[in-house]
Amino acid sequence: MHELGVAGEILDVALSEASRHAAKKVTSIRIRVGVLRAIEPENLSFLFGHLARGTPAEGALLEIEEEPVRVECEACGVSEAPSFTWECPRCKGPGVSVTGGDSLSILSLDVDS
Amino acid sequence: MGTGGNVRIEVERSILQSADEAAAAIRALLSERKIFALNLISSPGSGKTTLIEALLARFDGKGGVAVVEGDVETEIDAERIRKHGVQVRQINTRSSCHIQPSRLLSVLREMDLSETRLLLVENVGNLVCPAEVSLGEDARVVLLSVTEGDEKPLKYPLVFKTSDLLVITKTDLLPYVTFDVERVRRAARAANPAVEIFEVSATNGAGMSALLGRIEALRETKG
Repeated sequence: MHELGVAGEILDVALSEASRHAAKKVTSIRIRVGVLRAIEPENLSFLFGHLARGTPAEGALLEIEEEPVRVECEACGVSEAPSFTWECPRCKGPGVSVTGGDSLSILSLDVDS
Repeated sequence: MGTGGNVRIEVERSILQSADEAAAAIRALLSERKIFALNLISSPGSGKTTLIEALLARFDGKGGVAVVEGDVETEIDAERIRKHGVQVRQINTRSSCHIQPSRLLSVLREMDLSETRLLLVENVGNLVCPAEVSLGEDARVVLLSVTEGDEKPLKYPLVFKTSDLLVITKTDLLPYVTFDVERVRRAARAANPAVEIFEVSATNGAGMSALLGRIEALRETKG
Protein backbone atom coordinates (compact mmCIF):
# COMPACT_ATOMS: atom_id res chain seq x y z
CA MET A 1 0.00 0.00 0.00
CA HIS A 2 2.94 2.38 -0.42
CA GLU A 3 1.01 3.71 -3.44
CA LEU A 4 -1.23 5.59 -0.96
CA GLY A 5 1.51 8.07 -0.01
CA VAL A 6 2.48 8.52 -3.65
CA ALA A 7 -1.16 9.12 -4.66
CA GLY A 8 -1.48 11.74 -1.91
CA GLU A 9 1.64 13.56 -3.11
CA ILE A 10 0.41 13.58 -6.73
CA LEU A 11 -2.91 15.03 -5.61
CA ASP A 12 -1.19 17.73 -3.53
CA VAL A 13 0.97 18.80 -6.46
CA ALA A 14 -1.94 18.74 -8.92
CA LEU A 15 -4.19 20.82 -6.67
CA SER A 16 -1.53 23.40 -5.88
CA GLU A 17 -0.56 23.77 -9.55
CA ALA A 18 -4.22 24.00 -10.56
CA SER A 19 -4.90 26.71 -8.00
CA ARG A 20 -1.73 28.59 -9.00
CA HIS A 21 -3.05 28.68 -12.57
CA ALA A 22 -6.60 29.53 -11.46
CA ALA A 23 -7.88 26.34 -13.09
CA LYS A 24 -11.35 25.02 -12.32
CA LYS A 25 -10.70 21.39 -13.00
CA VAL A 26 -7.82 18.96 -13.49
CA THR A 27 -8.60 16.59 -16.37
CA SER A 28 -5.42 14.52 -16.63
CA ILE A 29 -2.02 14.13 -14.97
CA ARG A 30 1.03 12.59 -16.61
CA ILE A 31 3.58 10.90 -14.37
CA ARG A 32 6.72 8.86 -14.95
CA VAL A 33 7.34 5.84 -12.72
CA GLY A 34 10.48 3.72 -12.87
CA VAL A 35 9.86 -0.01 -12.57
CA LEU A 36 12.34 -0.16 -9.65
CA ARG A 37 9.77 1.82 -7.63
CA ALA A 38 7.55 -1.28 -7.46
CA ILE A 39 4.44 0.83 -7.97
CA GLU A 40 1.35 -1.03 -9.09
CA PRO A 41 -0.30 1.32 -11.66
CA GLU A 42 -3.83 0.01 -11.07
CA ASN A 43 -3.48 0.38 -7.33
CA LEU A 44 -2.07 3.89 -7.72
CA SER A 45 -4.93 4.96 -10.04
CA PHE A 46 -7.53 3.49 -7.70
CA LEU A 47 -6.09 5.24 -4.63
CA PHE A 48 -5.67 8.52 -6.49
CA GLY A 49 -9.28 8.39 -7.68
CA HIS A 50 -10.41 7.79 -4.13
CA LEU A 51 -8.38 10.65 -2.63
CA ALA A 52 -9.38 13.07 -5.41
CA ARG A 53 -13.11 12.77 -4.69
CA GLY A 54 -14.66 16.13 -3.93
CA THR A 55 -11.61 18.05 -5.18
CA PRO A 56 -11.02 19.82 -8.55
CA ALA A 57 -9.04 16.71 -9.54
CA GLU A 58 -12.01 14.38 -9.15
CA GLY A 59 -12.23 12.09 -12.18
CA ALA A 60 -8.82 13.18 -13.52
CA LEU A 61 -7.08 10.57 -15.63
CA LEU A 62 -3.72 9.42 -14.31
CA GLU A 63 -1.49 8.67 -17.31
CA ILE A 64 1.40 6.55 -16.07
CA GLU A 65 4.51 6.34 -18.23
CA GLU A 66 6.60 3.35 -17.14
CA GLU A 67 10.35 3.87 -17.21
CA PRO A 68 12.37 0.70 -17.85
CA VAL A 69 15.52 -0.24 -15.97
CA ARG A 70 18.68 1.29 -17.48
CA VAL A 71 21.57 -1.15 -17.55
CA GLU A 72 25.19 -0.25 -18.25
CA CYS A 73 27.34 -3.16 -19.41
CA GLU A 74 31.14 -3.03 -19.39
CA ALA A 75 31.19 -4.87 -22.71
CA CYS A 76 28.34 -3.41 -24.76
CA GLY A 77 27.23 -0.12 -23.22
CA VAL A 78 23.77 1.05 -22.27
CA SER A 79 20.59 -0.95 -22.74
CA GLU A 80 17.16 -1.30 -21.17
CA ALA A 81 15.51 -4.11 -19.26
CA PRO A 82 11.90 -4.61 -18.12
CA SER A 83 13.02 -5.34 -14.54
CA PHE A 84 16.11 -5.42 -12.33
CA THR A 85 18.81 -7.71 -13.68
CA TRP A 86 22.36 -8.72 -12.79
CA GLU A 87 23.30 -9.72 -16.32
CA CYS A 88 23.42 -7.68 -19.52
CA PRO A 89 20.15 -8.02 -21.50
CA ARG A 90 22.23 -8.14 -24.73
CA CYS A 91 25.42 -10.14 -24.13
CA LYS A 92 24.30 -11.86 -20.87
CA GLY A 93 27.63 -10.78 -19.34
CA PRO A 94 27.91 -10.18 -15.58
CA GLY A 95 29.71 -6.80 -15.70
CA VAL A 96 26.62 -4.63 -15.32
CA SER A 97 25.40 -1.83 -13.15
CA VAL A 98 21.83 -0.60 -13.00
CA THR A 99 21.91 3.17 -13.48
CA GLY A 100 18.26 4.14 -13.98
CA GLY A 101 14.67 3.06 -13.66
CA ASP A 102 13.86 4.74 -10.36
CA SER A 103 12.09 7.90 -11.57
CA LEU A 104 9.04 9.10 -9.70
CA SER A 105 8.02 12.41 -11.29
CA ILE A 106 5.04 14.45 -12.30
CA LEU A 107 5.53 15.56 -15.90
CA SER A 108 2.51 17.74 -16.63
CA LEU A 109 -1.18 18.18 -16.04
CA ASP A 110 -4.10 19.22 -18.21
CA VAL A 111 -6.57 21.63 -16.65
CA ASP A 112 -9.75 23.43 -17.63
CA SER A 113 -9.32 27.10 -16.92
CA MET B 1 -2.31 30.88 -22.10
CA GLY B 2 -5.87 31.17 -23.42
CA THR B 3 -8.97 32.38 -21.66
CA GLY B 4 -10.81 29.19 -20.81
CA GLY B 5 -10.54 25.74 -22.33
CA ASN B 6 -7.99 23.04 -21.83
CA VAL B 7 -4.46 24.03 -20.87
CA ARG B 8 -1.40 21.88 -20.29
CA ILE B 9 0.79 22.83 -17.34
CA GLU B 10 4.35 21.51 -17.48
CA VAL B 11 5.42 20.51 -13.97
CA GLU B 12 8.42 18.16 -14.20
CA ARG B 13 9.13 17.65 -10.51
CA SER B 14 9.68 14.77 -8.16
CA ILE B 15 6.57 13.30 -6.63
CA LEU B 16 8.52 13.00 -3.39
CA GLN B 17 9.42 16.69 -3.29
CA SER B 18 7.77 17.47 0.06
CA ALA B 19 9.46 14.42 1.64
CA ASP B 20 12.74 15.50 0.05
CA GLU B 21 12.35 18.97 1.57
CA ALA B 22 11.90 17.48 5.05
CA ALA B 23 14.96 15.27 4.43
CA ALA B 24 16.96 18.35 3.45
CA ALA B 25 15.91 20.04 6.71
CA ILE B 26 17.15 16.97 8.65
CA ARG B 27 20.41 17.03 6.70
CA ALA B 28 20.89 20.71 7.60
CA LEU B 29 20.17 20.04 11.29
CA LEU B 30 22.66 17.13 11.35
CA SER B 31 25.28 19.06 9.45
CA GLU B 32 25.04 22.08 11.74
CA ARG B 33 25.57 19.84 14.78
CA LYS B 34 28.17 17.62 13.05
CA ILE B 35 26.10 14.51 13.71
CA PHE B 36 26.65 11.49 11.47
CA ALA B 37 23.41 9.59 10.81
CA LEU B 38 22.74 6.03 9.67
CA ASN B 39 19.36 4.83 8.38
CA LEU B 40 19.02 1.09 9.03
CA ILE B 41 16.63 -0.80 6.75
CA SER B 42 15.74 -4.49 6.50
CA SER B 43 12.94 -7.02 6.55
CA PRO B 44 11.31 -7.59 9.94
CA GLY B 45 13.47 -9.94 11.99
CA SER B 46 16.81 -9.44 10.19
CA GLY B 47 18.39 -8.22 13.39
CA LYS B 48 18.41 -4.41 13.20
CA THR B 49 17.80 -3.89 16.92
CA THR B 50 20.22 -6.68 17.83
CA LEU B 51 22.89 -5.14 15.60
CA ILE B 52 22.37 -1.72 17.21
CA GLU B 53 22.68 -3.35 20.66
CA ALA B 54 25.87 -5.14 19.59
CA LEU B 55 27.30 -1.84 18.29
CA LEU B 56 26.33 -0.01 21.49
CA ALA B 57 28.02 -2.68 23.58
CA ARG B 58 31.27 -1.95 21.72
CA PHE B 59 31.16 1.85 21.39
CA ASP B 60 33.46 3.99 23.47
CA GLY B 61 31.67 7.11 24.65
CA LYS B 62 28.07 6.03 24.36
CA GLY B 63 27.04 9.56 25.40
CA GLY B 64 27.70 10.53 21.80
CA VAL B 65 25.16 8.08 20.41
CA ALA B 66 21.42 8.66 19.98
CA VAL B 67 18.91 6.16 18.59
CA VAL B 68 15.50 6.61 16.97
CA GLU B 69 13.41 3.45 16.68
CA GLY B 70 10.65 3.10 14.09
CA ASP B 71 7.88 0.53 14.39
CA VAL B 72 4.24 0.38 13.39
CA GLU B 73 3.32 -0.19 17.05
CA THR B 74 4.89 -0.60 20.54
CA GLU B 75 7.84 0.80 22.51
CA ILE B 76 9.52 -2.62 22.76
CA ASP B 77 12.61 -1.70 20.75
CA ALA B 78 13.15 1.63 22.50
CA GLU B 79 13.00 -0.17 25.85
CA ARG B 80 15.67 -2.61 24.68
CA ILE B 81 17.94 0.24 23.57
CA ARG B 82 17.31 2.33 26.70
CA LYS B 83 18.93 -0.41 28.81
CA HIS B 84 22.23 0.44 27.11
CA GLY B 85 22.16 3.92 28.62
CA VAL B 86 21.77 5.93 25.42
CA GLN B 87 19.22 8.54 24.44
CA VAL B 88 16.41 6.87 22.47
CA ARG B 89 13.05 7.87 20.99
CA GLN B 90 10.39 5.59 19.56
CA ILE B 91 8.32 6.56 16.52
CA ASN B 92 5.11 4.57 16.00
CA THR B 93 4.14 4.98 12.38
CA ARG B 94 0.70 3.31 12.68
CA SER B 95 -0.72 3.38 9.12
CA SER B 96 2.61 4.19 7.47
CA CYS B 97 5.07 1.46 6.48
CA HIS B 98 8.19 3.64 6.91
CA ILE B 99 9.42 6.59 8.96
CA GLN B 100 8.35 9.85 7.32
CA PRO B 101 11.14 12.45 7.25
CA SER B 102 8.78 15.13 8.60
CA ARG B 103 8.13 12.93 11.65
CA LEU B 104 11.82 12.26 12.22
CA LEU B 105 12.54 15.99 11.92
CA SER B 106 10.08 16.88 14.68
CA VAL B 107 11.45 14.11 16.92
CA LEU B 108 15.03 15.32 16.40
CA ARG B 109 13.97 18.88 17.25
CA GLU B 110 12.65 17.60 20.60
CA MET B 111 15.81 15.66 21.47
CA ASP B 112 18.86 17.00 23.29
CA LEU B 113 21.53 16.45 20.67
CA SER B 114 24.16 18.72 22.18
CA GLU B 115 26.52 15.78 22.89
CA THR B 116 25.41 13.58 20.00
CA ARG B 117 27.88 12.67 17.27
CA LEU B 118 26.26 9.50 15.91
CA LEU B 119 22.55 9.01 15.23
CA LEU B 120 21.22 5.53 14.48
CA VAL B 121 17.73 5.45 12.95
CA GLU B 122 16.08 2.05 12.80
CA ASN B 123 13.42 2.18 10.11
CA VAL B 124 10.25 0.10 10.05
CA GLY B 125 10.94 -3.51 9.04
CA ASN B 126 10.18 -3.55 5.32
CA LEU B 127 12.34 -3.69 2.19
CA VAL B 128 10.03 -1.65 -0.07
CA CYS B 129 8.77 1.64 1.35
CA PRO B 130 11.74 2.75 3.49
CA ALA B 131 13.89 2.53 0.35
CA GLU B 132 11.86 5.24 -1.36
CA VAL B 133 12.24 8.01 1.16
CA SER B 134 15.42 9.71 2.30
CA LEU B 135 15.66 10.58 5.98
CA GLY B 136 18.54 12.95 5.32
CA GLU B 137 20.96 10.25 6.47
CA ASP B 138 24.69 10.30 5.74
CA ALA B 139 24.70 6.59 4.97
CA ARG B 140 21.99 4.05 4.36
CA VAL B 141 22.52 0.55 5.72
CA VAL B 142 20.56 -2.44 4.46
CA LEU B 143 20.67 -5.62 6.54
CA LEU B 144 20.07 -9.06 5.10
CA SER B 145 20.08 -12.09 7.39
CA VAL B 146 21.25 -15.42 6.05
CA THR B 147 17.95 -17.03 7.05
CA GLU B 148 16.03 -14.83 4.58
CA GLY B 149 17.50 -16.27 1.41
CA ASP B 150 20.08 -15.00 -1.04
CA GLU B 151 17.65 -13.79 -3.71
CA LYS B 152 16.57 -10.65 -1.82
CA PRO B 153 18.71 -8.17 -3.85
CA LEU B 154 17.05 -9.44 -7.03
CA LYS B 155 13.57 -9.22 -5.54
CA TYR B 156 13.95 -5.84 -3.82
CA PRO B 157 16.51 -4.01 -5.96
CA LEU B 158 15.72 -0.41 -4.97
CA VAL B 159 16.81 -0.77 -1.35
CA PHE B 160 20.06 -2.41 -2.45
CA LYS B 161 20.59 0.25 -5.13
CA THR B 162 20.19 3.09 -2.64
CA SER B 163 22.21 1.63 0.27
CA ASP B 164 25.84 2.51 0.98
CA LEU B 165 26.47 -0.44 3.29
CA LEU B 166 25.12 -3.98 3.08
CA VAL B 167 25.40 -5.92 6.32
CA ILE B 168 24.83 -9.67 6.03
CA THR B 169 23.70 -10.72 9.51
CA LYS B 170 23.39 -13.97 11.48
CA THR B 171 26.44 -15.48 9.75
CA ASP B 172 26.76 -17.93 12.67
CA LEU B 173 23.74 -19.69 11.10
CA LEU B 174 25.40 -20.19 7.68
CA PRO B 175 26.16 -23.88 8.31
CA TYR B 176 22.43 -24.56 8.77
CA VAL B 177 20.90 -22.69 5.82
CA THR B 178 21.25 -22.53 2.05
CA PHE B 179 22.60 -19.03 1.48
CA ASP B 180 25.12 -18.17 -1.22
CA VAL B 181 27.05 -15.12 0.03
CA GLU B 182 28.74 -14.64 -3.36
CA ARG B 183 25.36 -14.55 -5.12
CA VAL B 184 24.26 -11.76 -2.77
CA ARG B 185 27.50 -9.85 -3.29
CA ARG B 186 27.17 -10.04 -7.05
CA ALA B 187 23.52 -8.94 -7.14
CA ALA B 188 24.15 -6.14 -4.64
CA ARG B 189 27.07 -4.85 -6.73
CA ALA B 190 24.93 -4.84 -9.89
CA ALA B 191 22.47 -2.64 -8.01
CA ASN B 192 25.22 -0.42 -6.55
CA PRO B 193 28.85 -0.96 -7.61
CA ALA B 194 30.05 1.22 -4.68
CA VAL B 195 28.25 -0.74 -1.94
CA GLU B 196 30.44 -1.80 1.00
CA ILE B 197 29.61 -5.30 2.20
CA PHE B 198 30.09 -6.63 5.74
CA GLU B 199 29.37 -10.09 7.13
CA VAL B 200 28.57 -10.14 10.83
CA SER B 201 27.19 -12.20 13.64
CA ALA B 202 25.97 -10.13 16.57
CA THR B 203 25.71 -13.39 18.52
CA ASN B 204 29.33 -14.56 18.29
CA GLY B 205 30.83 -11.16 17.42
CA ALA B 206 32.33 -12.20 14.07
CA GLY B 207 32.85 -9.22 11.75
CA MET B 208 31.62 -6.72 14.33
CA SER B 209 34.95 -4.93 14.79
CA ALA B 210 35.30 -4.35 11.02
CA LEU B 211 31.81 -2.88 10.84
CA LEU B 212 32.32 -0.78 13.95
CA GLY B 213 35.64 0.51 12.61
CA ARG B 214 34.02 1.54 9.35
CA ILE B 215 31.16 3.35 11.09
CA GLU B 216 33.61 5.21 13.31
CA ALA B 217 35.76 6.14 10.30
CA LEU B 218 32.68 7.44 8.44
CA ARG B 219 31.64 9.41 11.52
CA GLU B 220 35.05 11.07 11.65
CA THR B 221 34.52 12.42 8.11
CA LYS B 222 31.75 14.61 9.54
CA GLY B 223 34.22 16.55 11.68
